[in-house]
Amino acid sequence: VTPHGARRADAFERGAGLILGAAVLVFILWPVAAVLLESVRGQGGLGAYAGLFSGSGRLIANTLLVCVLTTFLAVGFGLSLALFLTRSGCRGKRFVFASLLLTMISPPFVTSLAYIMLFGRRGLLTHHLLGLSLNPYGLHGIVLMEAAGLSSLAALIIAGSLAGADRRLEHAARDLGAGGFTRLVSVTIPQAGPGILAAAVVCAIRSLSDFGTPLIIGGRFPVLASESYLTAIGLGDLPRASAMNALLLVFSLAAFVVYRRSVSGRLGVTARDKGGLAWPPPPLPRALDLALAAVAWLFIAFQLAQYACILWGAFAAAWGADFSLTLKNFAALDESRLGSFGRSLAYSGLAALAASLMGLILAYLIERRRLPAPGFFDLAAALPLAIPGTFFGLGYVLAFNGLPRAVLDSGALIVANCTFRQLPLSIRAGAAALAAVGEDVEKSARDLGATTPRVLRTVILPLLKSAFLVSLVNTFTATMTTIGSIIFLVTPRTKVATVELFEAIKAGDIGIGAVLAGLIVILTLAANLAFSGLLLGRRGLTAGGLELAHVPAPGRA
Amino acid sequence: MRKTSLAILFILILGAASGLGTAWAAGDAAGTSIRVLAAYGNKEAIFAAFEKASGVKVEFLDMSSGEALARLKAEKGKPMADIWFGGGLDSFIAAKTEGLLEAYASPEAGSMDAKYRDKDGCWYGVSLVTVCFMVNEKLCKEKGLTPPETWNDLLNPALKGEISVANPAISGTTYALVSAMLQKLGPDAGWKYLQALAANVPFFAKRGGEPPKKAAMGEAVVGISPASGEFFQLAKDYPVAGIYPKDGIPWTVAPVSILKGAANLKGAKAFVDWALSAEGQAVIVAADPRPPVRTGLAAPAGIGDFTYANLMPVDLEKAGLERSAILKEWQDRFGL
Repeated sequence: VTPHGARRADAFERGAGLILGAAVLVFILWPVAAVLLESVRGQGGLGAYAGLFSGSGRLIANTLLVCVLTTFLAVGFGLSLALFLTRSGCRGKRFVFASLLLTMISPPFVTSLAYIMLFGRRGLLTHHLLGLSLNPYGLHGIVLMEAAGLSSLAALIIAGSLAGADRRLEHAARDLGAGGFTRLVSVTIPQAGPGILAAAVVCAIRSLSDFGTPLIIGGRFPVLASESYLTAIGLGDLPRASAMNALLLVFSLAAFVVYRRSVSGRLGVTARDKGGLAWPPPPLPRALDLALAAVAWLFIAFQLAQYACILWGAFAAAWGADFSLTLKNFAALDESRLGSFGRSLAYSGLAALAASLMGLILAYLIERRRLPAPGFFDLAAALPLAIPGTFFGLGYVLAFNGLPRAVLDSGALIVANCTFRQLPLSIRAGAAALAAVGEDVEKSARDLGATTPRVLRTVILPLLKSAFLVSLVNTFTATMTTIGSIIFLVTPRTKVATVELFEAIKAGDIGIGAVLAGLIVILTLAANLAFSGLLLGRRGLTAGGLELAHVPAPGRA
Repeated sequence: MRKTSLAILFILILGAASGLGTAWAAGDAAGTSIRVLAAYGNKEAIFAAFEKASGVKVEFLDMSSGEALARLKAEKGKPMADIWFGGGLDSFIAAKTEGLLEAYASPEAGSMDAKYRDKDGCWYGVSLVTVCFMVNEKLCKEKGLTPPETWNDLLNPALKGEISVANPAISGTTYALVSAMLQKLGPDAGWKYLQALAANVPFFAKRGGEPPKKAAMGEAVVGISPASGEFFQLAKDYPVAGIYPKDGIPWTVAPVSILKGAANLKGAKAFVDWALSAEGQAVIVAADPRPPVRTGLAAPAGIGDFTYANLMPVDLEKAGLERSAILKEWQDRFGL
């Protein structure tokens, strides 16, 4: 057996490696470095860091607390949902799965407005229905909302591991006399180990870099990401804000490194042959089954309430005050706003395609060690997810400052920014799938004389269909709903849907905001379903969906 | 087609740059287009009126002034836009200090009180931004409170946790309140008042427009709000009313500036001149009701019973220059 990397890279691999390596340097490392360099500019060297450490002990503690609690909660919900989807005998799995796809689409501003409307101090559910006067602002608000947003992603990632796990082990455990609960804890869940770890690291990094949630419902509970936003945008102190970002990067990279160490030691038992998937998993005890179903339905109800709220806001005369229905908000969909939606779709489509192709090829080059220093590129490519969007956007302005207006007006920088921001997840998805595929098929093809492009096209890509789909869906969704980074890159000629949403909310037109947000959700969902249909054929949501979820175990190296 | 129009644009810019013509005759700029970073209510109507009057096309992008300032700094003198219209004056003064604004002596400058504009012509007020209490009357009734009418009324212990105020680092309105109090009462009494007020504020909102909306949706009894027409309009749909404090109204201006490095300087100048002219002021005041800056114009309807006489004495330049120090002190006392 030839060891990894023994075969010399061919011309295609060298060329692709050169181009993609250069792209990572130019579109990721340079902008991130530009932001970090700001931290040592101005008032003398490392002054920004000195101030940071002297006064920010509590800030750092807050940040880590939110990160840990959010991760636990999101992974806990994710695991319950994933077990429900893959192991439960209850009905309604298809609906729950479709809802999870929906709840991954969370348009800015409006989702948190809906949360406050439902669960606020005078919220519809908490105050008017239950008579409570809860205070939603603070640590619990941040953790709850971040976890709600991340649980869907965690569920899909973990369901992927569970769906691919060898079920013969569970049957063996049952035949040896293990009870339902023991079987779950000592066989089924450990099998999902890599998926759980992957979900945990994704949730932790996303929580660290999320500034929107703490800004809106943090109350008096500050975290690093929101403070760095306020420091840059409110106080205009870019050096200090950049120093905060450097700190966030350290935390994220630490999480990433810990993850890679722990995952390499314990790979799940993946079914390599059809036999492992041929039998249905043994049924769960009734009580456990019902408990999982209860958690799943509560979660879905909590999430769907927010979407119902947005939908209703689109038709309400005055959201939260006047309950009568009207169509007046839809008059806002004029030509210029529809143009922005067109651009949003075009940019999202381009970014999704670019990120998915680049992600898979990079994953191949990294996994099969066809790049010099694959570990370096793997880590470098993970940077954009680890800093708040605001700073990845500012990094682009700093790095590509002075390009002619024609370039800015083409939207190229917006597409590049969104592509490279989501590239890490595309690479992770591809790498995880590749690790499961194994090199045997690829080698056989090569022995039969296939060139690298041909191997990629006829062997690798078909096996990675679902990884490709995950990165398409993820990048498309993220680009359709992003605002933090691209607010610095848009021009009057490249306005997108979220910018229109921002303008409407800022002008106090909440009803129009709800219409625009609803349209964003519908278009994104339609596109995602179309991608699934194109790639997975007619099998539709359930089977195809779980296969889709089979993939993104980030950082399997 | 596109090439020819680009060529025409190029020639016009060259002509503008070489200083042909001096007076505000939009004729020189007509046919060109300007780009505007805007944070102003009903800006579409304002820009449409300007396009009609001047023949200059306006392309705009909505952006909060803090984000605009961060972007302008990062662009380092190669701005994406020509004009910066509306938003927090503090950001404009900071931009002036950084050398990001073009000085321009508008022929219309004499038509307004000097306290409403920059002495070097780097920014001009186009309208006043005043501060009012947005009060949820339904909640007041529920709690048996009389709506507050003075700044001291806000210190009522019954309002504890019920006053929504935006963070002054983000909100020009709150910063206007803070600097006006400090200028009126002096630092000692001023901070003492703010400390007492903060005791009734559960947290400082991180978005400028949040407090009036919090009051409208019943999340707070009082929101410290910009007193422009768009917020007074909330009363149509929600149980709120805008009340001017009887013991002095803090204020600032909504400014307009030409960005240094503007690609269409001629068009930008035409816009500033028009915005300060009698015609432009009438349009701006009607589009988003706020008190005008031009001498001799009356305050519009739709902004409650506003009187100029009730404005607190404020030195805008001083407020702008002290901003970092004041926000530092604020941060030490209340956190961000």
